[in-house]
Amino acid sequence: MPVVQQNGLSFHTQAFGAGPPAVMLHGLLIGSMTTWYFGAAPRLARSHRVLLYDLRGHGKSARARRGYDLATMVRDLDALLGDFTDEPATLVGHSYGALTALRFAMLHPERVARLVLVEAPLPPLRLPELDHFLRRPRGEMESALPDEIRHALRRGGRQALRLVDQLAFLAAESSLLADLDAEPEIGDDELAALACPLLAIYGNRSSCRPAGDRLRRVVPGAQLVLLPGGHFLPTEAAEALTHEIVRFCAGDVDG
Amino acid sequence: MRDDVLATLQAILREVIGEAWAQDVEITRATSFNHDLELESIEFVALAEKLQAAYGRSVDFTGWLSEMELDEIIALRVGDVVEFIESCPSSSKTA
Repeated sequence: MPVVQQNGLSFHTQAFGAGPPAVMLHGLLIGSMTTWYFGAAPRLARSHRVLLYDLRGHGKSARARRGYDLATMVRDLDALLGDFTDEPATLVGHSYGALTALRFAMLHPERVARLVLVEAPLPPLRLPELDHFLRRPRGEMESALPDEIRHALRRGGRQALRLVDQLAFLAAESSLLADLDAEPEIGDDELAALACPLLAIYGNRSSCRPAGDRLRRVVPGAQLVLLPGGHFLPTEAAEALTHEIVRFCAGDVDG
Repeated sequence: MRDDVLATLQAILREVIGEAWAQDVEITRATSFNHDLELESIEFVALAEKLQAAYGRSVDFTGWLSEMELDEIIALRVGDVVEFIESCPSSSKTA
């Protein structure tokens, strides 16, 4: 397992493919690099060199007790990207991973070739993972989970244990919830200053959808694509999502 | 040749899921990754990595998976992966 030490933590990373660099970031709580590994990443890797990593506290990266604010997550990306490439990279993110990519692009515009934001919640507090899971009664929490995860939980066993373990740690033993509560809103003026090509992809039934409309309205030249589904497009609309990402990123290759 | 691929995959799977769990499961061609082994998605990543180390780049397990729907991945059995490896142009072990 490729493990990279950055910011005092070990990060589980996977890189594959050849071409212009691209980094794909997953969402919080139930996410891990497999959000992309089983869908868009191998397809994008036919034209790009793709880096995947488990965010701090997720998957096989270290269980960090702190640092779930965007400023720290951006520093994680900064360090991992610096290791990966010197060229401007395309950043693809889902949910909080998309916000991390967005904040990174605001801070380091010269290092970003293009941005793909999938279901980025704006304001950050509107993160559906929180509304869906951690702040709901247990029964409702389960019914809001993506199908395959709900099935794993019902069956019990190793898959369920690991997931419950990750959720319990992040919710009870890390600063994740407090960090998200303290996360400042991203202003229109900051969004309007974005200079790289931006594709926003949202689910037509997602509670985040107004954020997509806002991105299109405020960011110069931003494209908005709506796909059938809710917040978990990487599983709900896997094929269409992959298609949109690959289509947009072809610009890196075609010039 | 056939038994060789199966034996390699069995050994890799024992490593991936850990001996503690592997002891209780007999791994055959009919063993299901999801139902019998309860292989987590993140463990598929480790499996792909170990297959690449064993067979080299000619066995593109990740690319093969990317062509499948999620329910197909969930339904995968050990025998499916054995057949996939054997179908790759040069699947002789490199390490």
